[in-house]
Amino acid sequence: MDYSVLLVEDDEHIRLALGLALGDEGFAVSDAVSGEDALRMLGQSAFDVVLLDLVLPGVDGLEVCQTLRARGDLPIIIVTARTDTADVIAGLEAGADDYVTKPLVAGELAARIRALLRRRGGGRQDEVLRFGGLEIRPDVGTVHQSGQEVHLTRTEFRLLVELASAAGRIVTREQLLQRVWGYDYFGDTRLLDVHIRRLRRKVEPDPDDPTLVVTVRGAGYRIDPDR
Amino acid sequence: MLRLTLRWRVAMVLGLGSLLLTSTLAIAIWNLASGYMLRQREQSGVRQAEVNARLVAESLRTGSGGLNELLTGLATSQDSTVLLFRPGQVLTSGRQVDPTRLPPRLLELGRRGVPAAQRLIVDGVPVLAVTLPMSSAGGAYVELAPMVQLDRTFRFLSGLLVACAVVSGLLGVALGFWASRRALRPLTELTNAASRIAGGDLRARLPAQADPDLTPLATTFNVTADALEQRVIKDARFAGDVSHELRSPLTTMVNAAAVLHRRRAEVPGTAGKALELLTSEIDRFARMVVDLLEISRTDQRADDTTLEPIDLAVLVENVIAARPGRAVAVEADAPAPQVLGDRRRLDRVVANLLDNADRHAGGAVRVAVLSRRGMARLEVDDGGPGVPAALRDRIFDRFDRGARAGSRGGDTGSGLGLALVAQHVQRHGGTARVEQRPGGGARFIVEIPEADR
Repeated sequence: MDYSVLLVEDDEHIRLALGLALGDEGFAVSDAVSGEDALRMLGQSAFDVVLLDLVLPGVDGLEVCQTLRARGDLPIIIVTARTDTADVIAGLEAGADDYVTKPLVAGELAARIRALLRRRGGGRQDEVLRFGGLEIRPDVGTVHQSGQEVHLTRTEFRLLVELASAAGRIVTREQLLQRVWGYDYFGDTRLLDVHIRRLRRKVEPDPDDPTLVVTVRGAGYRIDPDR
Repeated sequence: MLRLTLRWRVAMVLGLGSLLLTSTLAIAIWNLASGYMLRQREQSGVRQAEVNARLVAESLRTGSGGLNELLTGLATSQDSTVLLFRPGQVLTSGRQVDPTRLPPRLLELGRRGVPAAQRLIVDGVPVLAVTLPMSSAGGAYVELAPMVQLDRTFRFLSGLLVACAVVSGLLGVALGFWASRRALRPLTELTNAASRIAGGDLRARLPAQADPDLTPLATTFNVTADALEQRVIKDARFAGDVSHELRSPLTTMVNAAAVLHRRRAEVPGTAGKALELLTSEIDRFARMVVDLLEISRTDQRADDTTLEPIDLAVLVENVIAARPGRAVAVEADAPAPQVLGDRRRLDRVVANLLDNADRHAGGAVRVAVLSRRGMARLEVDDGGPGVPAALRDRIFDRFDRGARAGSRGGDTGSGLGLALVAQHVQRHGGTARVEQRPGGGARFIVEIPEADR
């Protein structure tokens, strides 16, 4: 099945070359040259994933990212030429699911997109994971905190399910990066850290003093089953 | 030669100056006071002797027999002596003194009719000797008055003055030490600020100085620091711009190359070969640019906040597991060494060492993670030709291919892999080197200080 990709990039050459290469990888690629353009196109038709350059004329990438995140949980991969920690973290905080650094190769990007779009869940029918007031239904992809539905992005949800399925055991950073993002090489701490932070903000009663998603120093994370 | 610090030099100079001043004063006081007291004592001694001599002369003139009693009465204290020289006779009273031990010149003056006074030490006792002519008897009257009291006073005074000089010298040293420390305090602040800048905190500045003597120093320092900060920001921005400008066309190139590579079968013959060359070289070029940008990044300090405790054995296993091809087993000490590090950089170190072994020696044959005397030690062995001793330092230099020139094949990498290893390891306070592997081949060794548990 072809996934539809919206490529938001102001550099014409990159747009063309990446469009061709992603086409070769089996994606249906549409492109937008600016933030405004992208928002307009996203309003008109549905896409499976957005590839978003952070540096754009007019409405910049971060703003587009925030706007899209406010609308829903459409997967977003940011594309950046700057490898500065601050830029990457800002993009992830704005709601991106993953990021790639230029020069990105279409093959590698394709693997990333497929990992991101893998079917959610994987849990048995009617399985419900409960931790205190938190109720996770992996088969339908919903999370309730004290009866209230919590809206998680696809990536946040998968991260939570991975932690919940371990039922209190420690899940290492490498395992999380590999299972959630499909990283088959160097794990990036920032990617995971920011997502854990985003997840805590949504499910923890006090995100500054996490009691549910607990950091195990030097090892990884686990969900405290006693909650 | 022993070189004193500035602070001690100031203290010593002040101490010596103070000592000199007080000594001069002490000597002057000593001279004035002792001279005055001596004169007073002499005058009163002489007056006393004159009165006594008159009494003696009167007694001699009247010829009364009470001369001996008179002389005994005149020797007022036990230490004083009265001598009466008459032709052929010396009468002594009081403390017994051998008349021959008196200076002859003094007696001579007395006999000739000249009154004289002199300070003497007679049998260990300081005395004032007064000689008066006894004209009626053709002799001389000599009175030795003890000056023990005065001597004691002198001793006390001199002791006091010396003590004062010494104490004032020491006070001078102390004052100098304190004052120089106070005066050098802005210098200490300057040193602190400078070392903070050297340590990477470019925002370190000296506080505004109220003292007009210090204002120029603080201002100059702060202006220099401002300029340095601006320069560093500019450089970082430039590096960022370079990075951006290079990465964009590179993105186009690698993706266009990927499209061409997929269709290489459609282009036969010479053009196909050229295409093959082009696409493979573009990949290498892209890796080189990425490595070059990484190695020349100026904002590297900013990343130092991402240090975290890492189990080196687990990290190495993860990197190996993520690589395509045959996995080499990791030989690890138990417990495996923990380091405080930047995961991304350490991943890169391990991957680059493995890449290097793959490229030049047919792959790693042994990977070990050991704990040696507080250092976490990573060893990557290969079964290749090894590295000649002369080239072992150079191999970690940028673009140094000398060591492996013979094996330069189609894929030689960026030429920066080992340089990146060395730089990243250095950033972790460690070292990277290469040795001969026992049994042939090269052994790359990386050592990083272990984290406190």
